Amino acid sequence: MIGKAGKIISWTIVRVPPANFGFQAPYPVVIVELYGGDRIPAQLVDYVPEHLKFGQKVLTVVRKTIQSDIDDVIPYGIKVKPV
Amino acid sequence: MNIFITGAATTIFGELWGVSPRALAKEAVGGALADAGISAKNIQALFVGNMLSGMLGGQEHLGAFFAEELGLGVAAFKVEGACASGALALHNAINSVLSGQYETVCVLGVEKMTDHKPEDVATALMGAGSEAERLSGATFPGLYALLARVHMEKFGTTEEDMAAVAVKNHYHASLNPNAQFRSILTVEKVMKSSRVADPLKLLDCSPISDGAAAVIVSRKKGVQIAASVVATDTLGLAQRKSLIELKATREAAQKAYKHAGITPKDIDIAEVHDCFTIAEILAMEDLGFYKKGEAARAVGKTKKLVINTSGGLKGCGHPVGATGIKQVVELVDQLRGRAGRRQVVGANVGLAHNVGGSGATAVIHILKK
Repeated sequence: MIGKAGKIISWTIVRVPPANFGFQAPYPVVIVELYGGDRIPAQLVDYVPEHLKFGQKVLTVVRKTIQSDIDDVIPYGIKVKPV
Repeated sequence: MNIFITGAATTIFGELWGVSPRALAKEAVGGALADAGISAKNIQALFVGNMLSGMLGGQEHLGAFFAEELGLGVAAFKVEGACASGALALHNAINSVLSGQYETVCVLGVEKMTDHKPEDVATALMGAGSEAERLSGATFPGLYALLARVHMEKFGTTEEDMAAVAVKNHYHASLNPNAQFRSILTVEKVMKSSRVADPLKLLDCSPISDGAAAVIVSRKKGVQIAASVVATDTLGLAQRKSLIELKATREAAQKAYKHAGITPKDIDIAEVHDCFTIAEILAMEDLGFYKKGEAARAVGKTKKLVINTSGGLKGCGHPVGATGIKQVVELVDQLRGRAGRRQVVGANVGLAHNVGGSGATAVIHILKK
């Protein structure tokens, strides 16, 4: 799932986050259509407001997803960044 | 169908700090039994619609839990389908009577949400979404915001159009003594409320609520259930071909009209699932009241049809498992001409539309006087 390219087909900015996401808020959540047609929901990182638009090209990357748990295990997942 | 609602009641919805789920259930079921003119010993099965009692309250096994609390001691089931749990429970109750297994059953929708931290409630509600949505940090306002953005881009729907839904539904709620919000809103007030998930603002969102509602389903005459239909779509938004509609709503509605032998034009009153203002606009289109893309400009200007006389989820409140039953209670009150200051004169046919998640489950009930 890493290094796949696609484009934004919708976006929002989550300002009231669920538990364990508080340290990142506010953050954009987008739906990306990957080249090939698959669609995924993902957080957008390394962005400026101008990147929040229909058709913005993005690339999937690995990032920390939520607050580390009590054992300091860092949870990783897929996010997207603008290209 | 030869099946009826013979009793219907709801508690007040709101932040009911001092009231337990047990007390809410007893009030709603007691009210429905009294309305039907029967007692608990006439009930042969109990169907409970609830979503969050396990995640928030640590209590599962709600069928047995409430059968005991209500002194019913009959076959009892919990039905869960996110925010459509209430209507799903009703659908199962109806099928149980149609099968011939039972003659008279009780359906209870109940939810207690306000005793918990907002971020914990947001996390619990995301149990209705897909794993990928949870990992992305999406919330339910966020998911409907993604739908709103596409509707705005494709059809020119504006934030003011969406705000008009909240204004209308708060006006209706101001006439409903059981509603959570009795305050009048203005478009300006909605527009100035804090942003929750752009483009949705606080006053575009239904609240976190406590409440219960109950109905009695029976072969005996009452308000007729003309259709009860469930449709299912993908759990996550990203797996859907189209983001301009809730396909499950459209499919369930088309079947329901067919079963009831009517068209959308025959509907006098509708309780639709306005968990967010954009959701009511989508529903107005997907239920066939307006062409796709044309509902936003029609909010509050429908000619014969009146939508969300209870105040909807936005104004009346949204204790998720109770909502689908409350919608039906409102229709029964309207069709029986006992809806007080919010009575729609000449209401003969009503539709209830209850949605689970971002549209993975849609349940439609059509009731006739």
